[in-house]
Amino acid sequence: MIHKILAERRTEMDLECEINGEPISLDVPPTRRLLSILRDDLQLTGTKVSCEIGRCGACMVLVDGQQVNSCLTMAYQCDGKSITTIEGLGSSEVDPIQQCFLEEGGYQCGYCTPGMIISVKALLTHNPEPSAEDIEEAMSGNLCRCTGYGGIIRSVQKAVSLRRNTQ
Amino acid sequence: MASEHENMLMSMSPSVLHPRDMTEAWTFKKLLDSDAVYVAGGTLLRTQWESGQAAMPKHLIDLSSIPGLKGIEKEEHSLAIGALTPLSECRKDEHIRLHCPMLVDAIRSIAAISVRNVATIGGNIVSRVGDCLPVFIVCQADFEWNTGLSPMTEDASEWTERLQAQLPKASHLLTRIHLPLFKTTEIVPRRFGAFHKVGRREAFTPSLITVALNGGLKADGTVGEIRVAAGGGQTIPHRLFAAEKLMKGQQINRELLAAVHQTIVDGYKPKPDPFATEAYRKKTAANLIVAELWKIAAGPSDEGRERDDP
Repeated sequence: MIHKILAERRTEMDLECEINGEPISLDVPPTRRLLSILRDDLQLTGTKVSCEIGRCGACMVLVDGQQVNSCLTMAYQCDGKSITTIEGLGSSEVDPIQQCFLEEGGYQCGYCTPGMIISVKALLTHNPEPSAEDIEEAMSGNLCRCTGYGGIIRSVQKAVSLRRNTQ
Repeated sequence: MASEHENMLMSMSPSVLHPRDMTEAWTFKKLLDSDAVYVAGGTLLRTQWESGQAAMPKHLIDLSSIPGLKGIEKEEHSLAIGALTPLSECRKDEHIRLHCPMLVDAIRSIAAISVRNVATIGGNIVSRVGDCLPVFIVCQADFEWNTGLSPMTEDASEWTERLQAQLPKASHLLTRIHLPLFKTTEIVPRRFGAFHKVGRREAFTPSLITVALNGGLKADGTVGEIRVAAGGGQTIPHRLFAAEKLMKGQQINRELLAAVHQTIVDGYKPKPDPFATEAYRKKTAANLIVAELWKIAAGPSDEGRERDDP
């Protein structure tokens, strides 16, 4: 009896979710990392691979609107969820956050930038008027080794005021 | 390209089980024993598997599929926090912010938002070295466990004391945390509480030292009640009983603080690692606690706790 229940409660090797607005059905092991699914299975290479232990934020994506590290997220945890990668932002035109990074020098080598922009998107969605402390906390999981963060903070502040002025 | 390590992990292809209730989860664990682990957010486990600190088991028991383990409710004398509540939800919760701001301080210091969106309060506890634990110890929180037979409740401090000697039963499932609501009384009209963490950098860093204290002063300024705990790094947090005993019934003054400092240095038993020596950790813990006590002695403040509703 218990073995029958065990079999019934086991995840099959498929994942059904929405990625950048498109319904997706994939045959993947339930513990496969979302990072690998995005980059290797779907060729969505805008999501970057770096530390692979949830420290650097290069692999940041939105899951149901919340920022998460795709290197720490397993396939079964994404089932039925809506995932947004950097490719899903500004697919038709440059997202205002991306534009602010361009104008304020929010990047140098650019490797951390997709993750940074995803974190800013999550921040402004949940908190349109963040304080300096809120910005620091929201971005503390994204590491940049080039800019010294000055340009990034300016970009976020500009995105905040842009959003304020256009609403 | 998937990393070689991930290919190796995938070749083991663990199955994921989704129990419908706690009894099923417990039954699966008893049946599969060390071949299975409970998984909530999985953020810590994933890093342990990636770094090779722990082997990926054959089966994962996904606790997120069990209804009723998430959420925060205010009860008459406590807050009931579901073990599967994400850290970010606890961080934002109005009841926790009002009644236990030091828990908010502790959660805010854990990893970054992206991790806290997935990681759970229960996972932080059962890791045995989570940065929330000193807060639960000093706040006299109770942990409620599903043991397969009947629910079991254990004081956070007793649980961590027991961990110093033996590992917890792997099949026991943390279901809820009961966090008492402290109120000022005629005997103890002034309450205080604080949490501090020191890491290797300012933000998003593993802890080296964590300390928490919670107590109350009597009308005459003497210490009516106090609990102090320290942890950090791979140290299982523990109460500093000797320091508490020294302070109880005493006025906080320079002489007392000097004695408390020495008692903490003698009584705190941190685990050293290549980043910080035992001596550094002891001294830092003593400094953090004594500095906080000094602030408490200096004047009235609501740091750490606000008055409960009458």
